[in-house]
Formats: sequence, structure tokens, C-alpha cells
Amino acid sequence: MNQRVEGRARLTVLGGFLGSGKTTWLRHQLHTGRFAESCVIVNEAAETPVDDALLGQASQLRVLAGGCACCAGRTALVALLRELVDVRSRTRSSSRRLQQIVLETSGLADPAAIVEVIRSDPVLVRHIVVNEIIVVVDALHALGQLQREPLGRKQIEIADQLIVTKVDTAEPASLRVLLATLASMNPGATLAAAVRGSAEPLADFQGTAPLPLCDLGTAPSRGPITPIRLCIDETADWPGFTVWLSALLHARGDDIVRVKGVVRTPAGRLLLQSVHRIVQSPEILPEGNGGPDLNAVVVLGRGYTPDQLRRSLRYFTGDSPSPRAGG
Amino acid sequence: MCSACGFPAAPGHWTDAGADTPHDRLRGRFRRAQVLQRVLPAYGLTAFDGGEVPGIQVANLAGSQTIVSDLEALWRVAETLIGGPVDPLDPRFTDER
Repeated sequence: MNQRVEGRARLTVLGGFLGSGKTTWLRHQLHTGRFAESCVIVNEAAETPVDDALLGQASQLRVLAGGCACCAGRTALVALLRELVDVRSRTRSSSRRLQQIVLETSGLADPAAIVEVIRSDPVLVRHIVVNEIIVVVDALHALGQLQREPLGRKQIEIADQLIVTKVDTAEPASLRVLLATLASMNPGATLAAAVRGSAEPLADFQGTAPLPLCDLGTAPSRGPITPIRLCIDETADWPGFTVWLSALLHARGDDIVRVKGVVRTPAGRLLLQSVHRIVQSPEILPEGNGGPDLNAVVVLGRGYTPDQLRRSLRYFTGDSPSPRAGG
Repeated sequence: MCSACGFPAAPGHWTDAGADTPHDRLRGRFRRAQVLQRVLPAYGLTAFDGGEVPGIQVANLAGSQTIVSDLEALWRVAETLIGGPVDPLDPRFTDER
């Protein structure tokens, strides 16, 4: 029998909402040897890439920063993929060629739009086949996001595989509702659970009613989520910065979806990450391994201007006079 | 759960991660209290951390005092005492003067 061999490079699209755990999941997969021979592309909507510092185990790592690959960063994605397939085409078939590409999208990307970018490009469509769309779902925040964010729904509906992360931190009852909701939104996708990238048994959700989802098409728009970069200069020391950020997340944790960055402190370079009001214990990045030396954080959210955010941080950490009383 | 594929995480509450010597920790606590004293009096609250006992003392003008272990707890207590959150994006903190 003449079996057709797929000669195109396989593309895995790894998507999921802001802070859902895409990089953590991918980092563990690389640690276990999955995607070992792959080229990993990390796309970040912000101009300040952070995730690449965590994916040091990738055999080949490329960063696309400063624009989501499904919209503003589309041209850069096509150029990078064309470059990869060009190098691949020049490699003899007897030599080791790039077989797999893993694209970690930004949390603001619609994976369907990325697939469309590849399918509509006359070069890429002949060299790359979209092998699977893996979407990571945050067990702690997904139910809320599904009620508010149309993008969160789109990401789940397009997935071939849904990986529910942080299952150890979620209430068992709400986790079962989330699993039932995911199964009803995308019955064709396989469901899996993970904690910091390691597979975990999936909770039994048979008989659990899915969350009724309202029509977001008629809801008033809450405005786009935008990334804002904040430099932590020498006047903004760690104690002042943490007073400001902890107050900000307490007051505005519904609107501030994600904060991430690298902050230099007397204890070393700290990788700081939060999702809504939950702040992860900062990871201490080793000195001198390259990676970002930013002293800056990226705040992704809505409901304020970059100027307001910067003035507020300056107020808390700077030497301006005391605030007006009252109000 | 795998703990082998990440970098080591700073122990304790995330806001305490910026110091790893006793000297830095104490200096950080004093500085934190100083920043809180720039913010809270506008809401009729005071914060005090003398560095001798763990935690931050929060008090209102009526003399009611609470000791909280970290900043997250402090903002929760402050919200209870003043009836709303301390919002860093309140115009009092963001208006140019």
C-alpha cells in the first residue's frame, strides 16, 4: 500500500488566556523531553519579553515580542516562520531537519486567527501543517473569564486539547463545573489536568451541570486589555513597589489580569508574576545566564491610562508630598 | 507536581522576597511602614512597624488597632475599616500637582 508521508513541519499552537500557565506547562514538557527537537517560538503582546527566560531547555528558541501574532504581530510571525521553513528546505532530507515547531501564543491571541495566518500564506501552507492546538485553562480563574471575556471562549472552542492547570488550588466543586463547561463548549477536545506542568488525574465531573454562559455579543464592551510597561527605577525600591502593587491588585484585581516582569532586589533578580489577585512566589533568576535584566514589569489590564499607572507608582515610591485628605 | 524544572522560589509572602539578609529584611520593613504612612493617613488610618514584633500595626482614628501579617491582609483590614478599598488609581494619587 502506498502510504503518503507528511513532509511538512508540524506546528503545535499553545494558547490560553493571560496567566493560564502556558509557559509553566511548556517548561515542564521541555524538561521531560517532549518537544526536544522542536523550535519553540514565544509570542508576547508586550514589548518586554519575560517568558523566554523560563524556556532555557528549548533546543531552539525564538521570541516575537511587541505584538500579538494573531493581529499586530502577524507580519513578524509570517516572516519568522518563512525563515524557519526556508532553512529547513535547504537542509538535506538525509540530515536532521526541523520537524516540529511549538508556538506559544500571547494570552491575548485567538489561536484560530493564527491558524488562518498560516493557511492563507502561500508559502507556509506548503511547508507547515498545524498538528494540534493545545489550550491551557486556568482552574482558578477560567469560570470568571468565560463569563466576561469573549476571547477566553474563542480560545477554548478552537482547541484540540484542553489542559486545565492549577487544579490543586481550585475548589473541587467549581473545578467540576469548569470541566463540565469545557466539555459542553468543546465536546471534541480531549481534557487533561496539570499542576505546574505535571499531569494530574482528571476529576470526575459526570452529572455536573455546566455553567450557563450568557451572550457576550450584547454586553457593553469593557475595552481592550492592553500591556503597559513600568520601569522600576532606583527610586522605586522593592518595599515601596510591593506596597503599591499589593494595593493595586487588591483594589483592581478584576481589571488587572496579569502582571509579569523581572525586578532587581538585594535578594537577586526576581521574576514576578500575578494573575488577577493571585501573586506567585517570585522565582529567583540566576545571575549571568543571560535572560532579561529588565527592572520593569508589564501590567496587562484595562480601566486606566498608562499615565495614571505611572503617576500612581511614582506617588507611592517617590518623594512627592502627602496625599490630600478626604475623598 | 514537578519542582525540578523551575528556578527556586523565594520563601514566605511574595512581598518579603526582596530581602535575604536580616539587615535587608529589617530595612525593608521600615521602608514599607514609611510608604504606608504616606498613603494611609489620607484615609484616617495609621500603620506602624517597629521591627521588634512580626507584623504591621494598623489603627484608625478611633483607636482601634489590628496587627496584620502581610500587605494583603493589611489592604483587607483597611477596606473593612474605611468601607472601601485603598485604590492607588484614586485621583489623589494620580493627579499632577
